[in-house]
Amino acid sequence: MVDKEKCTGCHQCELWCGTEIASISKELAKAINEEPQPVPRVYVEGKPFALQCRHCEEAPCLDACPNGTMRRDPETGLVYVNEPTCIACWMCVMVCPFGIINPSSSMKVAIKCDRCRNMGYPICAEVCPTGALSLVERKDYRKKKF
Amino acid sequence: MRYIIVGGSAAAISAVESIRSLDHESSIDLFSDEETPLFSRVLLPYYVAEELSKPLLNFRTADFFEENKVTPHMGVKVTNLNVAGKTIETADGKAHAFDKLLLATGGKAIVPPIPGVDKEGISTLKTMVDAERIYNMKGTRAVVIGAGSIGVEACISLTRRGIKATLLEQLGQVMPTVFDAEAAGIVRKRIEDLGITVLTGEKALKFTGDKHVTGVVTDNRELPCDMVVLSVGVRPQTELAVQAGIEIGDLKGVRVDEFMMTSAPDIYAAGDVAETHDIARNSPFLNAIWPCAFEQGHFAGVNMTGKKLRYPGSYRRNSIGNFIGIPAISIGVTHAESCVMASAEDEFREIRVRTKDTYKKLVLRNGKVIGAILIGQTQKAGLLSILLKKQVYVADSIPLLMSDRLNFIDLLPILRRNADQFSEPEYKELMDTGL
Repeated sequence: MVDKEKCTGCHQCELWCGTEIASISKELAKAINEEPQPVPRVYVEGKPFALQCRHCEEAPCLDACPNGTMRRDPETGLVYVNEPTCIACWMCVMVCPFGIINPSSSMKVAIKCDRCRNMGYPICAEVCPTGALSLVERKDYRKKKF
Repeated sequence: MRYIIVGGSAAAISAVESIRSLDHESSIDLFSDEETPLFSRVLLPYYVAEELSKPLLNFRTADFFEENKVTPHMGVKVTNLNVAGKTIETADGKAHAFDKLLLATGGKAIVPPIPGVDKEGISTLKTMVDAERIYNMKGTRAVVIGAGSIGVEACISLTRRGIKATLLEQLGQVMPTVFDAEAAGIVRKRIEDLGITVLTGEKALKFTGDKHVTGVVTDNRELPCDMVVLSVGVRPQTELAVQAGIEIGDLKGVRVDEFMMTSAPDIYAAGDVAETHDIARNSPFLNAIWPCAFEQGHFAGVNMTGKKLRYPGSYRRNSIGNFIGIPAISIGVTHAESCVMASAEDEFREIRVRTKDTYKKLVLRNGKVIGAILIGQTQKAGLLSILLKKQVYVADSIPLLMSDRLNFIDLLPILRRNADQFSEPEYKELMDTGL
């Protein structure tokens, strides 16, 4: 979840997501010179607020994907891109109501947050210096009063 | 309950998934006149381009039918639908009874009545059989007739295999139903840069050759060729519905109500065969595209189980993917003048921003988005799409919508203003943050 009171718009989450998840070197100083340029899956937008994939209950990207590349992990419910089969048709980009899927022309795959499903804990929440980003069960998040 | 699904593509499979999510026990029988199950029609150009092998065209795994307890009848054509008796007959002479039936028979590629169209070396690109035929064609020169999405993709696919392709379109621009002239100009340049000859405003008059095609005669010239791909569009495959006496709409699709039911009780239709309410046009329309087929299949499936779920309506969405090197997406109505259903009070507005590599256009009716084109920068296309789908008033937010910096969080005030329309939990949880 994202606590808008605490998000200062420092872009640390973007930097770390881009380095730890997207880059080959996993080191910031090297990552910035990599080709193709690593891209983060989280976007500090607006007021500011760090927005990443919402892993929608009825996800339009799952319906739009014409070859089953966009998948939902049956155990965790997380929606992710199975990159080897992505054909870069950008149908998911066309339907994402949050605009968080990046059509990467250089990498020819749709890039989006998978909430670090293979790492256990999301890197954006781990590095957030103010604790604005944290991992909370969805049902608790929805009950929270802001 | 006994369910019968006629068809085996997006709408059919989506309906199966939705039925099974609510009804784990009832029997589902699926009939398709195609032999190959579970392949994705929109990927056939990739097969022609030799970029995807057959197994990679599948959009569901091979155990899909088993997993969902579906009895598939592949390559079995349904020849008769008895509405009153609630039975179907198949080409092999068998009869099957049903309680609820889905017509997801899809579309049929149009074969234009051009003299010589039955020669060898001429094919549409709609079915797996078509794709294999085109893939196996011999020769070095191709003419693709019709510059819609499939035509453009077919042309590029053939080019990638070293075939010299010419794209022929009788209207004045490429992708006339998808893009306006400006966007079509950008796309055309990209296609030409790939080495494809593009001829617009030029009509195919006849095919030459004895048994096998050797050329296409147009109103300006003769184009020698070894193969021809016909991609002039699709029409709904309504033979079964017509035979059963089910109501057909003005655009020749199967008319459905807001619960995806046809004029016959307990018989539903979804996908390319269905004529649905188009939100952008505010009139019935045929939106023969993958995402619409999938969502209509979902709504039909849910309603078939007895639950009531209202379909909000369809609208066209096209993305030409990585074929031309830059992303290009088009949504809804892209020319205000094409709104034939407009009433005198309707006020239309078009806003365009063009840079060297990008183009963005927004079409509004009475302050609500009814269409958009995005070229180059497309990541936020879905935001405009959702504003179209929900038909919210945005006339006071044009600078934001046209800005490169358009983002979801800045749209929150618009969503909050229309909170009753954005009741899905994902929107609600972001609105509740108080931003």
